[in-house]
Amino acid sequence: MPIVALDLPRRAVLPLSQHIGAPATPCVAVGERVVRGQMVAKAAGFVSAPVHTPISGTVREIAPVAMPSGYPVTAITVETDDTMHEADTAARLAQIEADMQPADRTLSETLTAEQIRRRIADSGIVGLGGATFPSTVKLSTRPDAAIDTLVINACECEPYLTCDDALMRACAPRIAEGIELMLKAAGVPRAVIGIEDNKPEAIAALRAALSDGWPIDICVLRTKYPQGGEKQLVEAVTGRRIPAGALPAAVGTIVNNVATAFAVYAAVDAGRPLIERVITVTGDTSVRGNYLVAIGTPIGDIVPAITDGCKVVLGGPMMGRTAVTLDTPVTKGTSGLLVLEGRPRLPEQPCIRCTACVNVCPMGLEPYLLANLARRRMWPEAERHTVTDCIECGSCSYICPSSRPLLDYIRLAKSTVMADIRARNAKK
Amino acid sequence: MQAPRLLISPSPHIHTHRTVRSTMTHVIIALVPAFICSLWYFGLPALALVAVCIAACAATEWAVDRWLLGRPATTGDLTAVVTGLLLALNLPSSLPWWTAAIGSVFAIGVAKMAFGGLGCNIFNPAIAGRVFLLISFPALMTTWPLPGEAFSADAATGATLLGRLKLGEAVDPALTTADLWLGNMGGSLGETGALAIIAGLVYLLAVRVISWHIPVAIVATVALFDALIGTHVGIDLLSGGLLLGAVFMATDYVTSPMTRRGMLLYGCMIGLVTVVIRRWGAYPEGMSFAILLGNAVTPLIDRYIRPHRFAAEARKEVAA
Repeated sequence: MPIVALDLPRRAVLPLSQHIGAPATPCVAVGERVVRGQMVAKAAGFVSAPVHTPISGTVREIAPVAMPSGYPVTAITVETDDTMHEADTAARLAQIEADMQPADRTLSETLTAEQIRRRIADSGIVGLGGATFPSTVKLSTRPDAAIDTLVINACECEPYLTCDDALMRACAPRIAEGIELMLKAAGVPRAVIGIEDNKPEAIAALRAALSDGWPIDICVLRTKYPQGGEKQLVEAVTGRRIPAGALPAAVGTIVNNVATAFAVYAAVDAGRPLIERVITVTGDTSVRGNYLVAIGTPIGDIVPAITDGCKVVLGGPMMGRTAVTLDTPVTKGTSGLLVLEGRPRLPEQPCIRCTACVNVCPMGLEPYLLANLARRRMWPEAERHTVTDCIECGSCSYICPSSRPLLDYIRLAKSTVMADIRARNAKK
Repeated sequence: MQAPRLLISPSPHIHTHRTVRSTMTHVIIALVPAFICSLWYFGLPALALVAVCIAACAATEWAVDRWLLGRPATTGDLTAVVTGLLLALNLPSSLPWWTAAIGSVFAIGVAKMAFGGLGCNIFNPAIAGRVFLLISFPALMTTWPLPGEAFSADAATGATLLGRLKLGEAVDPALTTADLWLGNMGGSLGETGALAIIAGLVYLLAVRVISWHIPVAIVATVALFDALIGTHVGIDLLSGGLLLGAVFMATDYVTSPMTRRGMLLYGCMIGLVTVVIRRWGAYPEGMSFAILLGNAVTPLIDRYIRPHRFAAEARKEVAA
């Protein structure tokens, strides 16, 4: 399934907080003219990321929009006109053409690590797998951290999503280029691409792109969820287990998504900031497929004919969040749009102790027990049973034959326990 | 145009097709071979007992739900049907229907609903019902019509194979190995046909309703222990309630441990206790009591045997 470039939107809604860290600060005013690729909000500190506009036009408003998290986030709305729209579309076609070309390996030799990191930071690149951690922060490794492996996540974070697969099949050489640039930026000697065995075409495309002298290996993994979870991926690829509460750096690794690697190529080589990404549209909709979408495109522009009672999920079916309104824009972390029609939750039945949740939990937790502790508000016990280890993958709620909302209870316990821990640490 | 009203909810947004009802349906399907076997050997009385037990179990659950607890009936989840079917398959075919009905009312009313209903019972309801009957009506519960003679007016009865061994009698020389596998001998309705039970086991494993841990642990422990003390391994495994219990009763979700390692320990324990009762206890048959004991220690097993946490070894380093 090739990637279809969706028409640039007439109106782009650009939230200031599309990443983990401080929201960006607007650097344009209402009424100001902007051009495609221009920075409209700048990073507010080290752990932050700037925002760029994917369309030329006029800044219409800077006001809060409803995000799927349930919280309003301030966003910059840019509107275009016909002339600018045509010019942008033409420029974009040329860019797509360039993205399909073979890799250019000279840049990773001529540019310094500092220069590459600077460009990544200025381009607003964040982790595109969904966690949206600013990429420069990840790549700014401390020398004493002894990072020896860059792990590239090519596993699709969730079932139903095929956007990474489609990108690898279309642009494997450019992904390889991005990975090599990342290696240089982080001062890491080698990269391993962890990819699931249900993507033979992508594996072949990567193998062809990496045929001679790349410091990049491919590690084919069994297809299972959550193989793309950071801890699960690092263990599968390197055999190292990241301790509870620690980052991948604790075991000498950094993890980045393939789509992020592609964004690094686009930023450093093509000079294009993060203004577009590939998303998977799937579910009960006629427009299923993989699309190159401008960040800021309202989801109503992408999935037509949404009716009352539909669920529109941003992200995948296991961890995605539901949209409150069709004005919600695609953001940097949106990997998919899933439309679900008339599938309410089944009524909750008593736990029959079938062990399915215990067997499925990738963290070795006991979801049935944690959910019961949460129901009884037994927070210290939940903490003792390491509820904070939960990665919220949703496998337990998915598998439960009694359709118990296990993850809902566990989230409640996890957030309460984490607040308790923060309060205790503050007292010390 | 009015904007559509979107449904919102926390993740995950998809759910497996498996439900309690579909799981129980699988168990019922897995019991069909053993049920057919019981019809073949014991005839219409077997059918009557199965019908009475299922009806009485379902009716008891419905009545307790609606009249005592004032809540919607939970009979639709089919767990009471499975309990009734299992209880019937654990009874001798000559048992009067009213006795079977009493056992069913006890199984659901006392062993299950009094503890809080589905998921809350400590003991397997079907076994609790059977043991209740065994203690209350010992003579009726240990009279075993022989296969094929159930249709005649005054059916011949006799001790089971295990009963004879207990009394120090010789094993009937006419009994062949084929009889042992096919279940052509005296015993409870569903326990005699070893092959039929194994077919059910294969089905349950194939549809992933149970894992191999509990049945294999029980059978392996009994075989090893028997070999050690010099009892006839084949007879111990293939006659009596061992296989039926190992495959269908000990594996009851509610009353068995939550971890694979816990299941192995639980299975070993049941196997040991069964052999000890059969060899040195007062009863020729020990599976029911062994499973009840296993049920009783399940909370303890779950407390001390826990799943391996991800990167548990690293956690210990941090603590140290």
